[in-house]
Formats: sequence, structure tokens, C-alpha cells
Amino acid sequence: MIDPANLLAIVLMAFVTYLTRIGGYILLRNRSLGPRAMAVLEAGPGCVLIAVIAPVFVSDQPSDLIALALMVIAATRLPLLPTVIVGVGSAALLRHLIA
Amino acid sequence: MKPPRPHSRDAAGQATTWAQCCAGAMASLPMLFGLVPFGMVLGAQAVQKGLTPVEVPLMTGLNFAGGSEFAALGLWTSPPHLLLIMAVTFLVNSRMLVMGAAMTPFLHHLPKRKVLPALFLMTDASWALSMAQMRQRAALGIEPAFSLAYYMGASLVFYAAWVGCTTLGAILGPMLGHPEAYGLDMAFPAVFLVMLRGMWKGLRRAWPWAVSLAAAALTYKLAPGAWYVAAGAVAGILAAVIWAPAPPAARK
Repeated sequence: MIDPANLLAIVLMAFVTYLTRIGGYILLRNRSLGPRAMAVLEAGPGCVLIAVIAPVFVSDQPSDLIALALMVIAATRLPLLPTVIVGVGSAALLRHLIA
Repeated sequence: MKPPRPHSRDAAGQATTWAQCCAGAMASLPMLFGLVPFGMVLGAQAVQKGLTPVEVPLMTGLNFAGGSEFAALGLWTSPPHLLLIMAVTFLVNSRMLVMGAAMTPFLHHLPKRKVLPALFLMTDASWALSMAQMRQRAALGIEPAFSLAYYMGASLVFYAAWVGCTTLGAILGPMLGHPEAYGLDMAFPAVFLVMLRGMWKGLRRAWPWAVSLAAAALTYKLAPGAWYVAAGAVAGILAAVIWAPAPPAARK
């Protein structure tokens, strides 16, 4: 049921992942930060979020680009769940229409 | 039945632990639109790559970071290349170094023995929910701004959903279709966009995001694999360093 090589790979993955989870905390726990470091920490999270979804912005599917535009508009004025529904709904619809 | 009240307070003006936990769990629900189908797809993919339905929850339960699991499974062989799997896992998850660092200034009131286990459950989604809530609480003058109960409420929902759905996907495997056909892969971008709006502090502060987006998009087009997340984040952070506001008094 459990292959030793797979188990080893899974355990190593889990170890590396946990290090990334605690690394920032361990390094910065006992330090007070200057304004420059605070500016980085303020900008960093947004940079990560937008980098993760960057592939959608350069999609070669017109349907996905239109859905993204609708989503951006929705995100600036609607709460979370309606925005998700706009994104998922428009992508599903447009992908069927523009095949 | 009254709807849940995420901001119910006790006499001291603090939301109770249980209320915070429920608020976190409720806030996590919209994100399950994206998580559930992709968990099922990941489980199905893992079985195709030769993992057993026992190994799948082992991976998703111990590692618990979907992006790295998709990336690792894309490179999975029998037996797997350990160094390659570790490097890809680190690359995809390196953003969590930044995320953990960003959260650390708000964790000083908690002992290390609580923070270290709690960080095991940190995901993009639970972290972003907590950061958004911290901003609200800080604006209302609530101390401490970080609520461990809220974070745990959201995190545990994601954990249960992720391990559950990937296992289900491993068992149901071949019966599943493509979640892209239903647009479900757009749920995460939608969630992230709303979170970015929550972090918005004017156009000037958002320049690093634009740099990050451009660098990530370019890297995504030009380089294979998951390099684009790291490239975008590093470029954006460099931009933030360069454009950092000079006088400390001018901040906030």
C-alpha cells in the first residue's frame, strides 16, 4: 500500500514545505524592523498573490481574458462570494461560447 | 435561527474564541469552490502517477500545499527523483517564507509552542483571510490584531477539505471530468483579486504589485515550471525596497 521510495519523497516534501512555513517567523521573530523592511513586508504579500495568478493575465484564451476583466471589475465593487460566482460563471459560459 | 455573528463580543469587548473560530470557518467557505474540485483532480492525477489511495492522503496531509503537490506530481517517476521533488517543492512554496515573515510582527503575543504548530496549517487562503481580518481589527483598535482562533477556524476547514477531497479523488479517479470546463479554476484568481483589493493602499503603494505581475507573467511565458511565482515575488519585493518611503514618520 505504501512504497518506501514514495514515502521518502513525501516526507522530504513535507519537511521542505514546513521549513518554508516557519522560516520567515524563525528569522524575524526576535527583531524589530526598520521602515524599509516594513515596506517590503507590506508589499510582499500582494506581490506573491498577484504572481501566483499571473498566468491568467497572459492566457491565450480570449474567454479567460474576458472572464478575468469581468472578475477584476467585480473584485473592485463586490464582496468575495459574488466575485467568485462572476469569475467561475463567466469563465464557464465564455469557454462554451468561444470554443 | 439568526445568521452567524462574526463580531460578537464578550464583556471585555473581545470576540470570543469560539465565535472567532466559527467566523474563520465561515470566511473560508467561498474558497472551497476552487479547492474541492482541484483536490479531487489532484487525487486522480496522483493515482495515475502510481501513488496508492493511502499515499495520497499521506502526501496531502503531511505536505498540505496544493501548488507544490501538483508540481511534484507532474515530475513524479517511479522511483521519484528526491532532489528534484524537493527543489520544486521549495520553489513553489518559497512564497510562504514571505507570507510567514509578513505575519510575524503580529504574532509577538503568542508563545513559540503555539505558533510553530499553527504555521504547519498556513496556506495562501488562510493566511490571506487572517491578514485581511488583522487589517480590519487594527483599524477598529482591537488588540491583538491577529486572532489565532480565526486563523485556526479557516485553516482546519481547508485541511479537512483538502485531505478529504484528494483522497476522494484518488478513489473515484477515472470517473472525474475536467473542472476547467465548469470554470472552477477561476475561483482562486477571483479570491486573490478580492484580497488584493483589501490590501490596496493607493496607487503608489501598488507599484511593486505591477512589477511582480509583469515579471511573473513574462517568466511564465518564457520559462517552464513554477519559476514564475518566485520571479514575480522577488521582482516586486525589489521594487518595494527601491521605492520604500524614506522618513519613518510619514508612515501610517
